[in-house]
Amino acid sequence: MNTSINDQNNNNNDDSLYAAHQKIYPREVQGRYRHLRTIATIVLLGLFYSTAWLKWNGHQAILFDLPARKFYVFGMTFLPQDFFFLTWLLVIAALTLFFVTAVAGRLWCGYACPQTVWTDVFVWMERLAEGKRQQRIKLDHAPWSFNKLWRKTFKQAMWISFSLYTGFTFVGYFTPIRQLFNELMSFSTGPWETFWVFFYGFATYGNAGFLREQVCKYMCPYARFQSAMFDRHTLIIAYDNARGEPRGSRGRGLDYKAEGLGDCIDCTLCVQACPTGIDIRKGLQYECIACAACIDACDAVMDKMNYPRGLVRYSTQAAIEGNAPHVLRPRTLIYASLLLLLIGGFAYAITHRDLVQLDVLRDRKSLYRELSNGHVENVYTVHIINKDTRPHDFRLSVEQLPDAVVDSERAVIHAEAGDVASVAVRINSLPLEQGGGHDIRIVVTAIDTPQLQTDSKTRFFSPD
Amino acid sequence: MNSTDDNSDLREASTPWSRLREDVAVVTWSSFLVACIATMLFFALIDPDYLIDVLNHPRWLPSRMAGYALGFFFFWFISAGAASLTAYMLDTSREHFRSGSGRSGQDAP
Repeated sequence: MNTSINDQNNNNNDDSLYAAHQKIYPREVQGRYRHLRTIATIVLLGLFYSTAWLKWNGHQAILFDLPARKFYVFGMTFLPQDFFFLTWLLVIAALTLFFVTAVAGRLWCGYACPQTVWTDVFVWMERLAEGKRQQRIKLDHAPWSFNKLWRKTFKQAMWISFSLYTGFTFVGYFTPIRQLFNELMSFSTGPWETFWVFFYGFATYGNAGFLREQVCKYMCPYARFQSAMFDRHTLIIAYDNARGEPRGSRGRGLDYKAEGLGDCIDCTLCVQACPTGIDIRKGLQYECIACAACIDACDAVMDKMNYPRGLVRYSTQAAIEGNAPHVLRPRTLIYASLLLLLIGGFAYAITHRDLVQLDVLRDRKSLYRELSNGHVENVYTVHIINKDTRPHDFRLSVEQLPDAVVDSERAVIHAEAGDVASVAVRINSLPLEQGGGHDIRIVVTAIDTPQLQTDSKTRFFSPD
Repeated sequence: MNSTDDNSDLREASTPWSRLREDVAVVTWSSFLVACIATMLFFALIDPDYLIDVLNHPRWLPSRMAGYALGFFFFWFISAGAASLTAYMLDTSREHFRSGSGRSGQDAP
């Protein structure tokens, strides 16, 4: 099957260095990997758009409530002080990416990167409105007509509404989504919510509709450093040079091998299918996002020609050179054990974290006050942070100050689940023998569960 | 019949961005990423409400949400400044011009 390339954009080829980027029209392909990518897109976007609406114990399941500075993740409450966990999680994510890259190459780029996933949806919408590759090229070069106008308008309408809905969902992870939805319906969203919906919508539109593969080629840091995780046993998409060359077109039924030709019929479908517009037959290039579109394109051609599949295939440098593949190798083992260590530590830390936290601030106005009964009084502001999933009543006490009396605003301090209770606390004591500051410890205990206890160090001042 | 020298796709792929365009994109994007991290770190440690108190309730800082947003754009602005300067220094470096290894002298892959 010979596909002659009669694209009409041959002539706008003023190859100056400052030439504007030329649009790539990826050819649609069918095949195994296309199916896998469609499944990945549906699952990932499905998760993104539906999780925001999920409820858990009456709360939105995942909500990084920025206005309230509280973060809910499936019944667990985190506060900005728990930032450490987020950092840890990001390190785990980065290391997972390294590990996957070392083993399987740029799987992330081809199947899971938001850039790829959203671009896929945008390209699908484009196809819906403007048709297949040749039709799109033709339409872009045709003069404006009613047909062009309505197709372009239809595409833009789909893109813009999808982008805005994406922006809305994104903001819904940071401010309660149901409330946001109701506000949106009554046009009463706050100025910043509105701004971020448009900002993120615009970013989606720009990245997935306009920039597309250019993000991968010119802006993505991962594309530049992923090669550091690569070795000869990393899964890559490769063209079988030995089998394919010399490439060339041929008539049907001819004994091409007798004519000295390889299996590549040079139909260039692999190039047309490539979303980043590279030629995989030139070898591994950093622009390759490993989406496997060229494999699907080539396999279909091989089927038609009755040649075996896999002229372009997932392989490794070692395998192409005829060596046995090694998944277990020092690089992958080190990444894997580091990863296990970090994940184990994270799981332990998150299940054993303190469910109550105490912050004590000394009154800034005065060091101490002498009372008429001869006692000395220090004043503190105490914040009790209840990170448990249910409310508790707390009581305060003092250690390292023998005859101290805690005189709290409220004797019993109630804190809702995931809430902070703040109280002013006066601590009275007989004047200490030694004047000046003394280290003391304020202890908070939940009345119903005494093991729910923590303390905080502070200073108690006494006159000289 | 097809022939490779008439293949527009291959040419499309090798058309590079202009240097200015690449600089703007890379500066915008890298400073955006850094601003995200800086915003997260900064506001994990500091509550915008605290800043509002310290600054005595300024008109331009009406709420936490405004604090986050202004903080984010402040960090983006600052890191974009650093990134632009870096890009400018690299683009105009004498070594690049002499050896022709700068992007302007780079051949298409």
